[in-house]
Amino acid sequence: MVQAAVAATNQRVRDNTARHVNRRIEQRTLARLAYFAEHPDEIEERLAELDAEWDVERLIEAEGSTTILTGVVLGVLGHRRWLALPAFATGMLLLHSVQGWYPLLPVFRRFGIRTEGEIAQERYALLALRGDIGGLAADASASARARQALAMAERRPRAAVH
Amino acid sequence: MPPPTATRVPEHSPKRANRQIERETEGFIALYADATPEEIAERLAELDREWDIERTLQTNFAIVSAIGLALAALKDRRLALLSGLAARFMLQHSVQGWCPPLPVFRKLGVRTAAEISKERAALQALAARFAATAPLEAAPGERARSALQAVR
Repeated sequence: MVQAAVAATNQRVRDNTARHVNRRIEQRTLARLAYFAEHPDEIEERLAELDAEWDVERLIEAEGSTTILTGVVLGVLGHRRWLALPAFATGMLLLHSVQGWYPLLPVFRRFGIRTEGEIAQERYALLALRGDIGGLAADASASARARQALAMAERRPRAAVH
Repeated sequence: MPPPTATRVPEHSPKRANRQIERETEGFIALYADATPEEIAERLAELDREWDIERTLQTNFAIVSAIGLALAALKDRRLALLSGLAARFMLQHSVQGWCPPLPVFRKLGVRTAAEISKERAALQALAARFAATAPLEAAPGERARSALQAVR
């Protein structure tokens, strides 16, 4: 099958991140879920934190716009060669929105900045842990319940992944 | 304090557009309440491809900025200010959640990633991935509502 030039919205950042970095982000999420499996009374607070968490897109918009603005100001007031900076940043922004890669993406991802999809996965796994979404085996260990909850909140059924 | 990532866009969208989007999402979930797991998997793949509001706006800002810079290169470099204006609004959107094209895209039904994730989780609950939130013998509408409720 021909790989579409326009990447899937939900996967494009993960597809452009080193596998071990994706895995580290997942493991951190899993560890947090194991904690909240034993402290369900703290889940509400965590859900609010997840709502507030800056995802990759929001960060790129803040950083990219600052770069473009700086370059335009320098290019209009100073030497016009400065306009190469916003031209580059604009090209990278377009590349990111269509294909997913971005020059600073490896940096952001290594700092643990997540996609909205990854944040949503933790959100729904927490809800499942708390019993808001279906029941989980109460006699399983905390980490087993965490894994189960994460699997439940995964973005698509395993059968659909080829 | 900047508003939460998950809610800053609905907070700055026309209320009617938010309601319309919610109704459409609920409609889709109801439509899939008695769908087969394969049909649900297909819908989940569609959701993976759906362009959310961030991606739509980023593309929009990049195009406006590129036009400004092209005009600056060909005519007068002060036209680069168009690019600066686009960047200024992208910064406002990132931090605060509003920008001039936002109401237009929201009225066209472009959803936030969080709104799409909600439909995804509801569909997963319907596919019994969350061990069915409502008993299987309940009416599809009831199951749809309980699935949506479950992921709210």
